[in-house]
Amino acid sequence: METLLQQVINGFSLGSVYALIAVGYSLVYSILLFSNFAHGGFLVIGGYICYYTLAAVGNNIWIASLLAFLGAGVSAVLVERGAYKPIRERTNVTLYLLIASMGMSIVIENIFVVTVGGRFRALPPVIPMTPVSVFGLATTSAFDILSLVMAMVFLAGLQIFLSTTKWGLAIRAASYDLKTAGLMGVNVNKLISIVFFVAGLLAAVGGIFLSVRYTLYPQLGMITIKAFVAAVIGGLGSLPGAVVGSLILGLAEMLTAGFISSQMRDIVVFGMLVLTLLWRPTGLFGKHISEKV
Amino acid sequence: MVDLILSLDNLNKHFGGVHAVKDFTFQMERGELAGLIGPNGAGKTTVFNLITGVYSPDSGSIKFKDEEISAKKTYEVISRGVARTFQNLRLFPRSTALENVMTARQQHFKYNFFEAVTHAGRWAGNEKKIRETSLELLERVGLLPVAEQAAGTLPYGHQRRLEMARALALQPELLLLDEPAAGMNPEEVQDLNGLIKDIHEDFNLTTLVIEHHMEVIMEICPRIACMNFGEKIAEGDPDYIQKHHEILKAYLGEEVEEC
Amino acid sequence: MISGYIEGIIILICVNSIAAMGVSLLTGFTGIFTLGHAGYMAIGAYTAAILSVRHDVPWFAAVIAGGILAMVVAYLIGVPTLKLMGDYFAIASIGLGETIRLILENWQSFTRGARGFPGVTNFTTLPVAAAFFLGMLILMRFLINGNYGRAFKACRDDYIAASLLGFKTAHYRVMSLTISGFYCGIAGALLAGFLTYLQPVMFDMNKSTELTAVVVFGGLGSISGSIIGTAVIGLVTEVFRPISQYRMLIYGATMVLIMVVRPEGIMGQYEIGPKLIRAIFSRKTENGVNNAHG
Repeated sequence: METLLQQVINGFSLGSVYALIAVGYSLVYSILLFSNFAHGGFLVIGGYICYYTLAAVGNNIWIASLLAFLGAGVSAVLVERGAYKPIRERTNVTLYLLIASMGMSIVIENIFVVTVGGRFRALPPVIPMTPVSVFGLATTSAFDILSLVMAMVFLAGLQIFLSTTKWGLAIRAASYDLKTAGLMGVNVNKLISIVFFVAGLLAAVGGIFLSVRYTLYPQLGMITIKAFVAAVIGGLGSLPGAVVGSLILGLAEMLTAGFISSQMRDIVVFGMLVLTLLWRPTGLFGKHISEKV
Repeated sequence: MVDLILSLDNLNKHFGGVHAVKDFTFQMERGELAGLIGPNGAGKTTVFNLITGVYSPDSGSIKFKDEEISAKKTYEVISRGVARTFQNLRLFPRSTALENVMTARQQHFKYNFFEAVTHAGRWAGNEKKIRETSLELLERVGLLPVAEQAAGTLPYGHQRRLEMARALALQPELLLLDEPAAGMNPEEVQDLNGLIKDIHEDFNLTTLVIEHHMEVIMEICPRIACMNFGEKIAEGDPDYIQKHHEILKAYLGEEVEEC
Repeated sequence: MISGYIEGIIILICVNSIAAMGVSLLTGFTGIFTLGHAGYMAIGAYTAAILSVRHDVPWFAAVIAGGILAMVVAYLIGVPTLKLMGDYFAIASIGLGETIRLILENWQSFTRGARGFPGVTNFTTLPVAAAFFLGMLILMRFLINGNYGRAFKACRDDYIAASLLGFKTAHYRVMSLTISGFYCGIAGALLAGFLTYLQPVMFDMNKSTELTAVVVFGGLGSISGSIIGTAVIGLVTEVFRPISQYRMLIYGATMVLIMVVRPEGIMGQYEIGPKLIRAIFSRKTENGVNNAHG
C-alpha cells in the first residue's frame, strides 16, 4: 500500500513534468497542425541556460530559471522564424515542416554536443530533495511535490493567459482555423511567434525539473518522445488532453517501474501509444479533421 | 420495359444537426441525361457522395443496376460502373495528363504483382493497351497535344476536360458530373455542352449533371430535378422548370440565373 | 584492385540504398511518412545473424529469411495502423520502431541485448552487395513503372480521388509497407553480414531518421534520388569521420536547409534518364512541376 501510494505520487510528479512539455507541443500542433519534433530542443536549451547561470551567479534558482525561460522562449521563436516560417509560407505540405523539425532537433542536440560536450551534468541541488511524509502513509521527496506544484502553477497561468487576454483569445481562434483568424485581422506571424515562445517557456520549466531528476545531457530532449505519446493519448491539439494524457502516462510508467520492472517502462509507454492509435487515434479529447469531398 | 439504372429512394443524411439530404427520391433510366440543380448547400454534392459510397445514408436505399449499393464501399461502387468528376477538381497534379488517364484506364487491363515486377506475361500487352486507349481518350477531349504535361500546370479549362477524360477511362455505365462548367466563360461552356452531349451519345452513358450554369442544364438535359435544403422541390423538363422558375426564385433568391 | 576501405564504403552504400529504396516506395511514392523503418532492418539483421550463427543456415537463405520475417511483421503492423493518416502514422512508426529495438535490447537470452551479437560470417562481399543492389533496384523500377506504381502515386497524391477511381487504397498502402519492410529486412540482413556484429542501438531512431532523410533529400518520388541521397550521406559520413561530432550537426543542418531551400530534394520527382535531361533544358516544365507540388 505504501509503495502504491508512493508510485502514484511519483507518477503524478513525472506526469506533471510531461504535461508541461506535452502542452507546449500540443499548443503548436493545434495552431499549425504539425508535430514539432524539435520541441525537445527547447527543453535542453532551458536546462543548459539554467545550469550555466547557476554556476555563474551562485545557485540563485530564480534568476537562473528566469533566464532559462526567456532563453528557451526566444530560441523557440528563432527556430520558428528561421526554419519553419520560410517553409510554411511556400507550401502547406506539413511533411516538410515535420522533416525540418527533425533536422532542427538534431541540430540543437548536437550544438550542445559540440560546444559543451555530451557528458552528464548534475545540477546543484537548488531544488530540495528532502523526503517528505505524506499523511504518514508514504514518503516522497519535496522535489516531487514541488514539480507537481510548479507544473500546476504554470498550467494555470497558461489557462489564464488563454482565457482572459487578447492574444489568448486569438490563439484559441487560430486553433480552430488559422486562416480565418488571419482574415479576422490577427497578425498570424506574431501569433505563431507568441505560441512558440510560450511552448519554449513551458518546455524550459520541464527541462529544469528533468535536469535535476535525470541530470543534464544533450540527448535529454529525447524524453520529449514520451511527452508526444502523452499528447497523442490525450488527443493532439487538445491542451486539457495533453495534461490528462501526461498524468496517465506518468502513472503508467511509475507503476510499471515499481511493480514490474524498470526496463518494461518504455515498452509500456510505446505500447500505450500504439494501443491508443489503434483504438482511438484522436485520443481522449483530440481534434478530428475530416476532409470535405 | 423501363431499365432503371439508378434508383434513389427516400435518402436521408445528417451531419451533426444539419439534415443535408431529406427524403430524396430520384430515378434514372439507362441512357438518360439528367440535371440536378439547386443553390449552394442544397445537398447536391452530398447526393453524389452518397451514391459513390463516400458517405453512407442514415436511411433510404440506393440501387444501381438493381443492386442495393448504399452499404458498399467506394471502390466497390466504382468497380460496378460508376464514375464521378469533382466540383473542385481532383487531378493528380504531379502526374502527366496521360498518366492521370492511364491510372484510371488500368482498372480494365489488369495484371498481377509477379507480372509487374518481372515485366512478363500480360505486362507488355496490357501496358500497351492502357497507353493507347488513354491516348485515344485524350484525343477525344482535345488534349492530345498536352499529354506529357504535368496535370497541375494545365490551364483550368484543360484540367476540367482531363478530369472528364479520366472519368471516361473507367468505362462507366453511370457518369456523375459535379459542376463541370464551374469557372468557365460562355464560349467554354458551349464547348462543354457539345462535349457532354457527344459523350452521352457515343458511349450511351447515363449521365447526371450538377450545375449552376443554367445554359448547360437547360440546353442539354431533357429532365431536371431541383433541390433546396436537402429536399427535391421540383422535377420535370426544362419548360416545366422554367415556369416553375418564379416559384424557384422565391426559394432560391438570386442564385438562379435568368435564362 | 580497390582498397578494402573503399570497398567497404561501396558495400555500405549498396546495402543502405536497398533500405532507402524500401522507404522511398513507402514515403516517396505512397506518401506515408515513416520514422521507424530501422526496426525492420533490425528484424532482418538479427534474423539472419541468429539463423546463420546458431543454426548453421546458409547465408543466402538466412538473408532471405530476414527479409521475409521483416515483411511479415510489416504486414501485421500495417493492417491496423495504416488507417491512420499523416502525423499519426509517423508517430506510430516511432513507437513501433522503438518497441522493436527495446524488445531486441531486453530479450537478452535470445539476442544478447545491448552487449551485442558477434560472430556473423562476413558474407556480404562486394559482389554480393552489388548483386543484391542491382536485383532489388530492377524489381523496384519495374514495380513503379506500371499499374502498381500508378496506384501508389494515386494514393499519395489524393487518396479520395484514388478511391473514386476504384482503388482499394487501404490494400495498396499495406502492400507498400509490406514491400518496404522486405527491402529494409534484406538490407539489415546484408548489414549483419558486413559488420559481422550487431547491436540494437545500430537500429535506433537516428537510423530511422537517416533513412527518411536520404529519401527526402534525394527527392520524394525518385528512386535514383534516394540512391544518390544514400551515397551522398554515406560519403559525407566518411569524409567527416575525423570530426564526427560535427557530422551529426552538419547532417541535421542539411536536412533543415533542404526543406527550406529545395523541399523537393535533389532529383525532385525525376529519375535519371531522358526526361530529366529534357526537363533541365526546358525551364517551363521544371517550374510547372514545382508549382504543381504545392
